[in-house]
Amino acid sequence: MVADPTIAALRSGLTSDDEVFVEGADWESVVDAVKDERLTVNMGPQHPSTHGVLRLVLELDGETVTRLSPIIGYLHTGIEKSAEYRTWVQGTTFVTRMDYLSPLFNELAYCLAIEDLLGIEAPERAQAIRVILTEFNRIASHLVWLATGGMELGSTTVMTYGFREREHILDLFESQSGLRMNHAYIRPGGLATDVTADFVERCEALLARLPERLGEFEDLLLENPIWNDRLRGIGVIDAEACLELGVTGPLLRAAGVPWDLRKAAPYCGIEQYEFDVVTETAGDSFARFLVRMEEMRQSMRIVRQALDTLPGGPVMVADKRIAWPSQQSLGADGVGNDPAYIRHIMGESMEALINHFKLVTQGFTVPAGQTYVAVESPRGELGYAITSVGTNKPYRVHVREPSFVNLQAADEMSRGHQVADVVAVVASIDPVMGGVDR
Amino acid sequence: MSALIGAAVPAPGHGLTAPARSHEELAERITARFPSVRTELAERGPLVVHVAASELVGVLTYCRDDEELACALLADLSAVHWPAGELVIERQRSTTGWPDYRVERELGMIEVLYTLRSVARNHLLRVVTATPDTAPRLPSVTGVFRTADFHEREVFDLFGVEFEGHPALTRILMPDDWAGHPQRKDYPLGGVDIPYANDAVVPPPDERDLRDVVR
Repeated sequence: MVADPTIAALRSGLTSDDEVFVEGADWESVVDAVKDERLTVNMGPQHPSTHGVLRLVLELDGETVTRLSPIIGYLHTGIEKSAEYRTWVQGTTFVTRMDYLSPLFNELAYCLAIEDLLGIEAPERAQAIRVILTEFNRIASHLVWLATGGMELGSTTVMTYGFREREHILDLFESQSGLRMNHAYIRPGGLATDVTADFVERCEALLARLPERLGEFEDLLLENPIWNDRLRGIGVIDAEACLELGVTGPLLRAAGVPWDLRKAAPYCGIEQYEFDVVTETAGDSFARFLVRMEEMRQSMRIVRQALDTLPGGPVMVADKRIAWPSQQSLGADGVGNDPAYIRHIMGESMEALINHFKLVTQGFTVPAGQTYVAVESPRGELGYAITSVGTNKPYRVHVREPSFVNLQAADEMSRGHQVADVVAVVASIDPVMGGVDR
Repeated sequence: MSALIGAAVPAPGHGLTAPARSHEELAERITARFPSVRTELAERGPLVVHVAASELVGVLTYCRDDEELACALLADLSAVHWPAGELVIERQRSTTGWPDYRVERELGMIEVLYTLRSVARNHLLRVVTATPDTAPRLPSVTGVFRTADFHEREVFDLFGVEFEGHPALTRILMPDDWAGHPQRKDYPLGGVDIPYANDAVVPPPDERDLRDVVR
C-alpha cells in the first residue's frame, strides 16, 4: 500500500520542519522530499486484510513498523444504547449482531447475565443444547479465522476450504434457528424452541466430517514453508504482556497460560464434559494457529459427550412470568407458530391470550441489581456487565468485547516487524469489527 | 508470571497457582489496608468494593500487587449514568409481585466499574467509584493496567468522563467531531440530522415525514 502514493496520503515523521503531505504525486518526488526514512501511513479502513473496516496508522522506519495505532469505530451502531430502549428479550436480537462470527456466544452471555439477575437457571436440556451449539460456533468461528487469515497471507485454497466447512455448520444453525447468523435462538430462561428431530443426526454427520477436513488443513499448512515463514516468530507476545493488556483467549493460551473460562468459571454445565485446555509456549502467530486448530478438536470432544448424554425435558423455564409464551413448530414453510397453540390462545383461554400479549409487548421485569457474567468466546473473555433497576428494560448493558481489548496488543506485536507482517499479526489476533465497534 | 506457564488448569475455587479466597477474606484484606473503602458482600456475583476517586489508583495497584488478591487482569471497565432527579418505575405489583422502584437523587453521578480478575487465584472483584456528572473527572489507571487505555477512551467517549493522566484521551467509537456523550441518560435515543454539502438537511428517520421524501 505504500508503493502507491495516489492512494496513501504520506507524511514524513512528526516534526513540522520536514513534514511533507502528498496526494497523487510521483513516488520519486516523495522519496526526494523525505529527509529520513520515517513515514506515517494509513492502512485501511478499506483494505482486504483488515477484517472489515479496521484502520491502522503505521509509523514506519523504512519498511519496519515502529508504531501501530488502531483507529476503530467505523462500524459503531450504538447497540448498547439501543438495548436500553427495548425489552430484555428483544435485546437478544441486538447482541447477536455484535460479533457476527460468534453470535451464539453473545446470546449466551447476555442470557446468562439476565438469568443471574433473575436468579433462575435454564433447564438441563437447554443447557446441553447451548453447549453443543456454542462449541460448533467456536469451530465455525475458528474456520473463518483460518479462511480469512489464509487468504490474507495468500493461501486462497485455505480460504475456500474454510468457508466451505463453515457452511455445513451454518446449515445446522439454520435448521434449528431458521437463520445462518444472528439467530436470537438462545433466550433468557432457555431456548427459543426445541431442536428438531434430526438434530442429533445432523450433529453426528458434522462430527464425522470435520476431523478429516481439519486433517486436510494441517496437511496443507503445517509443513508449508510459506505458512511457516510468514507466521513463525511473528507477533510474539509473552504471558505477562498479555495479562497487562487484558488479552485473553487463544492469544493468552498460545503464550503458555492455561486460562480458559470453561474450566475456571464453567457455565451451562460444561464442567461435566472432559476436554483439555490447549496451550503453546512460543506466543507467536504460529502458536496461535496450532492452539486454534487443536481447540476445534477439543470442541468436537465436548459436542460428542454432550450428544451422548443429551437429556430430555423442556428447553424453557417453567415460570410462566418469564418463559416466552409463543410455541413454535417446524412447518412446511419453516419455523413458525404452532397451530395448536394458536388455537388454544385464540379460541380456548382468554387468560392465556392476555399473558401472551403482556409478555410479548411488555416483557418480564428483572429485579434491580448489577452483574458481570463472562463466557469463553472464540476470541477470549466475552463479558456482559448488566445493570437493572427492576424494569422490563435493561438500565445499562455493557459488553466486554474480547476483540476490542485484544486489538490493543497489535501495537506491541507489530513493532520491529515489516509492513507485510502486520497483516499476519492482525490476522492472528482475529478481531471481528462488529464486536470491536458494537 | 513465568510461574504460570505449565501450571495446572484452573478449576472453580482454584486458580492457576493458588486456591481462591472467600469474599470475606478478600474484604478483610482490602479494608485492613484501606480502612475508608466500603465492601459489599453480594449474594451472587463478585465482591464489590466502593472507593473514593482519590484512593482509586492506590486500591487498584494494591489489588494487582498483593499476593492474596493477585488481580493481574483488568477484565472490564464500564460506566453507568445515574442522573439527578426522581426516577419512579411502577410495576403493577398485583400482576408481577415485584415492588415499585422509586429513587431520588440530588446529585447526578457517573459510576465507573472496574472488574478485576485474578488468574492466579481465580476470583473476581468489582471496584466501584463515582464522579459527579456535571464535571466528571477521575484519575486514569492506565499506569496500573495498560489495558485500561481503550476502556477509558470508551468511557470518555460515551459518558464524558475525563481521565487525568491518560496518554491520549480521544473519542474511540464515535466520530472525532461528535458533540455530546451518547450513553448518558440525558442523551436521547434518536436520529441526527444529515447535512449535505449544498446546505440541505434531511431530518433523521424517526422525524422524517415520508411525504416530504417520497413524492
